[in-house]
Amino acid sequence: MSAHDTRCVRGSFFSPGTFALLAVMTLGGAFAFTRMLTNLQTVTNLTDAYPWGLWIAIDVACGVALAAGGFTTAALIEVFGNHKYRPLLRPAVLTAWLGYIFVGIGLMFDLGRYWNIWRPAFNWQGNSVLFEVGMCVMAYLFVLTVEMSISFLDGLRTRVEEGSPGARILNRLERPLTLLRRIVRTVMPLFVIAGVVLSCMHQSSLGALMVIAPTKMCSLWYTPVLPLLFLLSAIMVGFPMVVMESLIVSRSLGREPEMDLLSPLAKIIPWFIAGYGAVKILDLVVRGSAVEFFDTPGHMIAFLVEMVLCLLVPFVLLMLKPVRESSGWLLFSSLLIIAGVVLNRVNVFLVAYEPPFPGKGYFPSVGEIAVTLGLIATIMFLYRVFIFLFPILPKHETSAAIPLRTPPTYTPLKTSTAWTFRGVAIGLMLIFSVLYAFIHQEAVSGDIRATEWVESVRPVVAESTGLNPAEHAGRPEGYQRVYILSSRLLDDLDNFYGPARFNHVTHDEWTGGDCAPCHHRFSMDSDDRIGIDLNEFHDELEIHLGGPCASCHDMGSITTQRCDSCHWLANEEDDPSRLGLKGAYHRQCIGCHEGARKTGAPLACIGCHHPVTPDHRDLVAVGEDVDVQGVVRECVRCHATSTQDVLKSAHWNWAGHSPEVGGYENSASLGLNTMVNSYMFGTGPNGEYCAACHIGIGPLEGRIANRDPETVDCLICHDTTGTYKKKIGGGGQPVDGLDLQRVGRTVGRPSRAKCGECHFYSDGSANIKHGDLEPALADPPDDFDVHMGRYNLLCQDCHTTRQHKIAGMSMSAPAVEGRVHCSRCHSDTPHGISGAYSRHLDDHLRSISCQVCHIPHIARETPTRTSIDWQKAEAYGPVPLTDRGLPAWPERSGVETWVRNLVPEYRWYDGTRRIKVLGESIDPRSTVYLNQPQGDKRNPRALISAFKTHRAIQPYDTDNKVLLIPKLWEGFWQHFNLEVAIRDGMADSGMGYSGSYDFVQTVQYMGIHHEIVPAKDALGCHDCHAADAVDCRRCHSSIRGHELNGLGHAVYPEVENRIDFKALGYEDDPARIGGRFFIQLGRGTPPS
Amino acid sequence: MGLNRRRFFSLFLPTAATLAACSRSEASQEIVGSKEEEQVGCLVDTTLCIGCRQCEEGCNRRNELPRPDKPFRDHSVFRTDRRPGINNFTVVNEFLGSPSRDQRNKSATYVKTQCMHCLDPACVSACIVGALTRARDGAVVYNPDICIGCRYCMIACPFQIPSYEYAETLTPRVRKCEFCADQAEGTGADPACAAACPIEAIVFGKRSELLQLARSRIERRPVRYVDHVYGENEIGGTSWLYLYGREMDEIGLLSLPIFSPPRTTEAIQHTIFKYGAIPFLVYGTLGGIMWHNHRKHQVADDRDGGGS
Repeated sequence: MSAHDTRCVRGSFFSPGTFALLAVMTLGGAFAFTRMLTNLQTVTNLTDAYPWGLWIAIDVACGVALAAGGFTTAALIEVFGNHKYRPLLRPAVLTAWLGYIFVGIGLMFDLGRYWNIWRPAFNWQGNSVLFEVGMCVMAYLFVLTVEMSISFLDGLRTRVEEGSPGARILNRLERPLTLLRRIVRTVMPLFVIAGVVLSCMHQSSLGALMVIAPTKMCSLWYTPVLPLLFLLSAIMVGFPMVVMESLIVSRSLGREPEMDLLSPLAKIIPWFIAGYGAVKILDLVVRGSAVEFFDTPGHMIAFLVEMVLCLLVPFVLLMLKPVRESSGWLLFSSLLIIAGVVLNRVNVFLVAYEPPFPGKGYFPSVGEIAVTLGLIATIMFLYRVFIFLFPILPKHETSAAIPLRTPPTYTPLKTSTAWTFRGVAIGLMLIFSVLYAFIHQEAVSGDIRATEWVESVRPVVAESTGLNPAEHAGRPEGYQRVYILSSRLLDDLDNFYGPARFNHVTHDEWTGGDCAPCHHRFSMDSDDRIGIDLNEFHDELEIHLGGPCASCHDMGSITTQRCDSCHWLANEEDDPSRLGLKGAYHRQCIGCHEGARKTGAPLACIGCHHPVTPDHRDLVAVGEDVDVQGVVRECVRCHATSTQDVLKSAHWNWAGHSPEVGGYENSASLGLNTMVNSYMFGTGPNGEYCAACHIGIGPLEGRIANRDPETVDCLICHDTTGTYKKKIGGGGQPVDGLDLQRVGRTVGRPSRAKCGECHFYSDGSANIKHGDLEPALADPPDDFDVHMGRYNLLCQDCHTTRQHKIAGMSMSAPAVEGRVHCSRCHSDTPHGISGAYSRHLDDHLRSISCQVCHIPHIARETPTRTSIDWQKAEAYGPVPLTDRGLPAWPERSGVETWVRNLVPEYRWYDGTRRIKVLGESIDPRSTVYLNQPQGDKRNPRALISAFKTHRAIQPYDTDNKVLLIPKLWEGFWQHFNLEVAIRDGMADSGMGYSGSYDFVQTVQYMGIHHEIVPAKDALGCHDCHAADAVDCRRCHSSIRGHELNGLGHAVYPEVENRIDFKALGYEDDPARIGGRFFIQLGRGTPPS
Repeated sequence: MGLNRRRFFSLFLPTAATLAACSRSEASQEIVGSKEEEQVGCLVDTTLCIGCRQCEEGCNRRNELPRPDKPFRDHSVFRTDRRPGINNFTVVNEFLGSPSRDQRNKSATYVKTQCMHCLDPACVSACIVGALTRARDGAVVYNPDICIGCRYCMIACPFQIPSYEYAETLTPRVRKCEFCADQAEGTGADPACAAACPIEAIVFGKRSELLQLARSRIERRPVRYVDHVYGENEIGGTSWLYLYGREMDEIGLLSLPIFSPPRTTEAIQHTIFKYGAIPFLVYGTLGGIMWHNHRKHQVADDRDGGGS
């Protein structure tokens, strides 16, 4: 490899082509820069389905393949001794060297953690094909650099000889450079062979890359012999690359094409094509049936182009002598082969790759294409730079065909020194190879898979000790009916929902008393975790199971196995198929609930569980001096839809659909602004007082209509500190001195106290209005209200809430957003299957609502007002005000009547009512019913229901015959002048006022639904029915002297005539004469 | 995909000869086999799943992933088929139609997707630096510190599970289910999804026991289940096993060969490069040819009276 037949190219470096290259490089560089500054997503179209794109297919795979000219030429000349081709060697090696460098650079753009690119050199993973490729490419790049170094050293020496710039400095280095040149020349043959071997290794490994994804590859390209195909195609494309590069350089520099060298070289190419093509076709034939040729037309076309146009056509062309001797045709043929290999690599890495879930597919982005073109342009540009700077191309003046025999400038090393260096080089290579081979074997035997870091990085968390199955956590002592289904086994790890409350009685009723669906096993001994199967046990005794257990057993004395004594942890060793506690509960529940869809059994998680409110401490980002609207803005940041829901709710609009109001069934216009009552008369003039309860911030007027999400007062319901309260008459603003930051950070589900803050104090004072909603319900004793006391149910457990629309109905407010029915939990036959009288009690449900028997009294702690006389109030004059701003009339004034332990009134009620709206004319001669429950005995849908009645003597306009709305807040309560209050009030309401008023008797009904007592405190038969009317023997003639134990007495004997049957339309006590659906009583007759 | 088992057998037929010659592949199979006792796994019963997405929520919390826009209770996500991604290592997809022949009252089948934790994972074999490793009990875990971001694991995975943080500038990671490996490592604790499942449609345990459990369920209810445990042999076996009652392709379970792809590539690699024998042989041969040609050249030169 003599230095003197090559020369640096002289002449003008820049040409139009060079500038075009620079332009493409700039564009590609810009995109590459963007990728480095931002990320892969910005520049590429890569997805999880297509993790490899154009950069891998072209920059890496094609880059490596097309650099094959380096090793094939080196092998041809140095190994096989065809020295006449020597002028082609240096350009070919330069192309390969640049090619591999840019494979590395291209890879840097594609790697996510490019700064870790050195890792494979230290973290060896011998099983990885990619590791094989990486190692070989790194090693081969080193070999190529050694091969290139001859040209570089020669170039530097030429500089010294010609006195070019920098020669002075180089002059000092002349001796070491010369020595280095001599050493490199000595060991060069070793490296040349190493280069050939390494190339064969990684060219083939590159093909093995995709062998790991057989299921994702199109069968046209996928074959286990891909490595062989890749190696053969790389060898095939080597000489065409040399031909192409030589011809293009000749054209570019205006030289004669080196046809005397290229034509014979081209003669070899068809042999390689034939070799590659033969193996490829043979492979297709062998795989035969596996290849799906016509399945995807796109793939078939790509395959045919690759095979016919880029393999068969150049093969035929190059067989022809005229083609080989024409530079144009030769270039064309070479380009076809190169295109074929490029197409093959693109096909294997992109086209054939068919992920099972392709998503939106892959097509390279502009950025990917630009970077790829930029890299190619850079290679071409640098090639030009190097041939101008270093002696790479043959001397132009002499014909390249005649090798010059100029005497060597360098004296070879002494034989002994040369062998020393050769020995060292061989030794280093051996060490590397042995180490490498060793690692390979280690990898196979599995030691590389050892995962020390897993043990060091991830601490092993000690698992909690097992739970004693006898301890049923969360099961309150003595609670027979409701079980709190909560235990550490259930809550373990993931507690997104609160514990379910399992109502045993209800489920008993739904299953018809059959215990077996849940308690399929039982044991007499608590240590016996297996127990016996109920069915098997009864089968052995030849007892047919089918009816309620209670029909044979006394359910009070029988003991069943605890669920968690068998169902403990899932997949336990003694029986992997047995379910864990959570699975047992849920699968039992969900299976039944799905089957009982029609009965309204809840299916959603929140049908049984409260969702657990996440800790908002870190979520709510508000400062210490935040105002209430600042907190709301923070709420809206995440809960925007919730705010919109609130704005559509009845709680916000104070109006809504009123399907139960006669004459307004299809209307949504009724609301509090159309309301007239006998407590505060109406909201018009007293709105500021009412605003203390409305769930908005700011003055009531205009706020409702404006629907500004930031005026929704989330905290009035969701405060859990209990400190958040509104100023009375303060425009809906909270009271002063609140720690709003704390309030905002501790938001949660509304508690009973929170709902009660408005609803316990409706119309101004505690329990003044409803009678059954008093402050004691915030935390009532067990027997005060069985739901809220004993079972601690929240308001929203019954008043089910969906999108901030809260189920429930009030006699005074027309809007309804869903109904609450006892039967949702208690079924239509709620009185149990085990009692002797359950059928008779259930029969009552046809005519009596549950509340009648189960709410014997209301206002049991706080008295409720049952009447007010405004005539007397006007006459009595000023009185002091309470702390909530209401006048406190002394009892002797006779203005108000307040009652504790009020006995409800009973009326027929079919669920609809008629009401008086604001401005509706009245008949002052008779009592005015502000709202009136509809229904009578003949209406089968009507039930006898419990009500509180509020009677009032209130002012009306004698001329217009309408009820008047006096202004109370900042009106009558201050000046106690009803005339002035009426005038102000009617003006505020925007209604006319004739100037004269008088008083009329009004009645308002309030429904009774709360303060439900435990079953033992509910009414007995004799509370309503005459003592002589209730007797079993009237029907069951065989029964003699049977006592109605526990029921056959009056529970509240102090209340006489609780129900006036005559007023309800019965001729006599229905226990005596038969109910409304029975023409007469049963078989027996009452004893005389 | 149009893949079937027959095609795969024929696809691998040419490989068989290579493999038979390769003793190493057998050795590798032994590794998998010898640790059989320690292998853990999960059994997913698609006929039981009710699509509550608790597993997704549990996974989300355990792995401290960002909260999704739609809450986990929102079932509108079922309108599109979802894939595991960088922010959700497991997803539940809905497929209309009852889960099995004896469940006519159910209108949809729900199938959970996550990393299957193959017994012979292609991603682990593919990883250039060993960032993906298979822990002793079978969890395939990821070490981001040595990962170079080549995404070859994503190419290799037959289930298309790993996802990549393309939007990260300097420290993108491969994200996938790691079997909650901190806990699954020897403690026997459930992964978060299995712990969260309210009805134990996902059961965690030793793989051998789970296989028995699956077999017993199929035996007990032959009408309900298809007589095939998905994952028992697929792609060399997976830690996650599925029971199902419908056609696999209807519910998004891929038809995969029972052959493990890494065995092909590793066989090729380790056969060619075993002890570096073949490269050495090539090196020696080429060296011999070179020396021979050099000698010929020198003789010719000497005759010409020249020298180089």
